[in-house]
Amino acid sequence: MLIATTATVSRLGTVDLMTETTSRAGRAVAPPEPLTAVSVRGLRVRYGDFEAVRGIDLDVRRGEVFALLGTNGAGKTTTLEVLEGFGARSAGTVSVLGFDPATERAALRPRMGVQLQEGGFVEELTVQETLALWQRLVDRPDRPGRLLDRFELTGRADVPVGKLSGGEKRRLDLAMAVWGSPELVILDEPTTGLDPESRTRTWDAIQELQDAGRTIVLTTHYLEEAEALADRIAIMHEGRVAVAGTLAEIVAAQPARFSVTLPEAVVDLPELRGATHREGTRVQVRTDDLQGDLTVFLTWAAARGVRLPDLRAAPASLADIYHAVRTETEDRA
Amino acid sequence: MTTAMAAATTTPTSRALALAITETRLILRNKTVAVSSVVLPVALGVFWSFQFESGGDPARQAVSITLQLAVAMTMGLYLTATQTLVARRHTRVLKRMRTSGLSDRGLLAATLAPSVVLAGFQLAVFAVVNVVTGTPLPSDPVPLVLAVLGGVALVVAAALATSVVTPSPERAQITTLPLLFVMLGVGVVAAIAPANGWWPVLMVLPGAAVGDLTQLAMTGGAWSAGAAGLPAILPALVALVVWPAVFGMFAARRFRWDPRY
Repeated sequence: MLIATTATVSRLGTVDLMTETTSRAGRAVAPPEPLTAVSVRGLRVRYGDFEAVRGIDLDVRRGEVFALLGTNGAGKTTTLEVLEGFGARSAGTVSVLGFDPATERAALRPRMGVQLQEGGFVEELTVQETLALWQRLVDRPDRPGRLLDRFELTGRADVPVGKLSGGEKRRLDLAMAVWGSPELVILDEPTTGLDPESRTRTWDAIQELQDAGRTIVLTTHYLEEAEALADRIAIMHEGRVAVAGTLAEIVAAQPARFSVTLPEAVVDLPELRGATHREGTRVQVRTDDLQGDLTVFLTWAAARGVRLPDLRAAPASLADIYHAVRTETEDRA
Repeated sequence: MTTAMAAATTTPTSRALALAITETRLILRNKTVAVSSVVLPVALGVFWSFQFESGGDPARQAVSITLQLAVAMTMGLYLTATQTLVARRHTRVLKRMRTSGLSDRGLLAATLAPSVVLAGFQLAVFAVVNVVTGTPLPSDPVPLVLAVLGGVALVVAAALATSVVTPSPERAQITTLPLLFVMLGVGVVAAIAPANGWWPVLMVLPGAAVGDLTQLAMTGGAWSAGAAGLPAILPALVALVVWPAVFGMFAARRFRWDPRY
């Protein structure tokens, strides 16, 4: 058996590994499990006159954590609902684990766990009753006791869901989404409203799922969450994917920056490739060539005997990129 | 995530049954709902059974039975089913359940089944009470059976349709009122109205067929020639098919699983 691997650059600007399997006789053999868990091309979702999603392309690979970032109303939840088979698309093609969620949701259901953004509980049922009911409704085998322990809800088992705290409800929600360890888990803002400790525990649970080979698609407002968990990220804004790729790829495509406070006597500055912004004694430089510009700047400072006690240099952060996406769109408007 | 797990033993039927049992428990656990959906309809039906003096006249007895059918179907079934559907949508429980192994049809059936079962229980209570109080048996039970089955189909379809225009569980108290009053009023009028004159026009209203069929069950003559030489039961049968179809088609086009849309 020969496995030919080629690298191609996707429309999103990311590198996709395409693996093709053939026998030595040249005949095609049973293909391996597709590498892509979710594939979206040209997705559009329209509600009346409002277009919530405006022609997006996405690829989520098996076994990765994929984060959809964006402001409120960016189209994240609408996109997830199309993947879940709940939302109707106006245009485009969608494949989730090889199925079209719009027409093959029944086949997809046993293989996919979903955490809703909010609600979804019968508040009069206790935690135990909720999980016991879920056990009888879901095709994937699991045990309520295991999930009560895993999500630290054992002590709250007999409490009606309506009396749980927001954090406890999110944990119960996550427990139901990961019930039976489905192949694909879709999490809509899994840590919104959680305290830092609960958030870390949720991250641990997501990491465990990935370690078990599961694919996770999540939306979040928290940039540090995407940085901590996601293998790849897409930032949505106003229904479009503005930026997508690994964190390293996204960061590499954005200008880095360095900043420094100069002595008042220093008036002139060296010629740099990046954009220099000076406000009083404070200087900020945004540059695509951090090493080159920093070398020039340090050489210039050394030649003049200028001390730079608060010099800070860093690649672009996800926060910078996020804000840049928003600003660019607003500027265009 | 690799702990030993219980074997999967669920089937489509067992899943729907599990949810239906839970929904029934919730109805009975909620005192307000239990009183308005179970106790009050039963009390009204039993009251009419004891208070209605028919003097042994089957035609007059049909009015009492029609009232019992109407109260079980409207207060017991229609109101409860609409409130349950809207509440489950409002709290996104329907959306959650769609991520389980339940099919959409199974989910709707399980959500509505407890209301149907409770209405059936109420009708059984009325039947026993009517026998105890000496109510004459129907001369032709077929129209009565058709009235029950068709009436249930009508109010279930109406509950689905009403949920479309009901944004919150509280508003269900208002949006269900028109059909509730029409069914109660028209059912009784149809049961006592003469077969000639303009009264058969009432048959175009939802619920009138239940009263007409009950009257035919008690007095007989369902299959004898009526207007235009057609069987007397025909207008009621047509109405029993048309109204559930109208409500059903409206619900099929406009039903929402999620309060967001």
